[in-house]
Amino acid sequence: MIRLYTNTKHKDLKSWIMKNDWYFNLNTGNQTFTEKERHAIAKVDQAKLTEDKHIETKYGVGTIRNLSSGCKTLLNIMMNPERVVNIDECGKNVLDIIFTMEDISVYMSRPERIDIAEDKEILFNDSDLVIGKKGYENWWTTEYKRREEENDL
Amino acid sequence: MIYNEINFEASPFQYHLKFSSRITIVRGDSASGKTYLFALLEDLKLTETYQKIKLFNYKSEKFHESLADCRGNFIVVDNADILLNEEDRRFINFEKSNQYMLFLRNCDGINLSRDSFAVLQEDEGKISLKREMVTA
Repeated sequence: MIRLYTNTKHKDLKSWIMKNDWYFNLNTGNQTFTEKERHAIAKVDQAKLTEDKHIETKYGVGTIRNLSSGCKTLLNIMMNPERVVNIDECGKNVLDIIFTMEDISVYMSRPERIDIAEDKEILFNDSDLVIGKKGYENWWTTEYKRREEENDL
Repeated sequence: MIYNEINFEASPFQYHLKFSSRITIVRGDSASGKTYLFALLEDLKLTETYQKIKLFNYKSEKFHESLADCRGNFIVVDNADILLNEEDRRFINFEKSNQYMLFLRNCDGINLSRDSFAVLQEDEGKISLKREMVTA
């Protein structure tokens, strides 16, 4: 199941990762990377990670600080599963991967078109459990109607 | 428009960026080179031709105040989803002396045209802005 939060009201944001580049550069990037993380880096950034945490991409050789924001976000989720991670900056290629994962917590402020499996369980804001892409899209449709009504008041 | 085009070489790539709207929203997949382009513009803005470029990202100090001070600039904002608040979006709409290239996904509150949306496209080392078709 994916726990998905769509607003930050009444939340303790200290434990949330809202600035993914910053958090990755200071924290996640210093953790030990396993084969799983290496595979994610190769898939998203087409980058090869060396033992000393340099990367080789079509843009040249750099360090893991030069990974894309989307890739850093994915690694923040994988390596900090206890935290809620902001995925607003992710492109569809990364979102599609994130929504195959299990037992993660993410924050997104607006809907994106994502490929979601029909049986995927998503819990919105700790209260609304929906199933699959259809459930995800229906939830956002209702949410936008609610927001419109709120603005009309 | 401050710049209709931005052209430069950053070996092994050649950039030919054409702008047809005062506000260009660059989206597309992660790892398509947006932040890499931002880093290249840090050098380019030091040239006489491109001195009107102003760059902001999550490392920028006093972002909101600095943005509000801009007049007659070509403003590039990386990490715009986590930086732009409602007031910034209003400023972008109404301060028409500036031109913008925003690396942004959530366009709520910004007045855009169909020509505003683009993705970075690479073809044999040549990088351009390809207009992105947006559906409602």
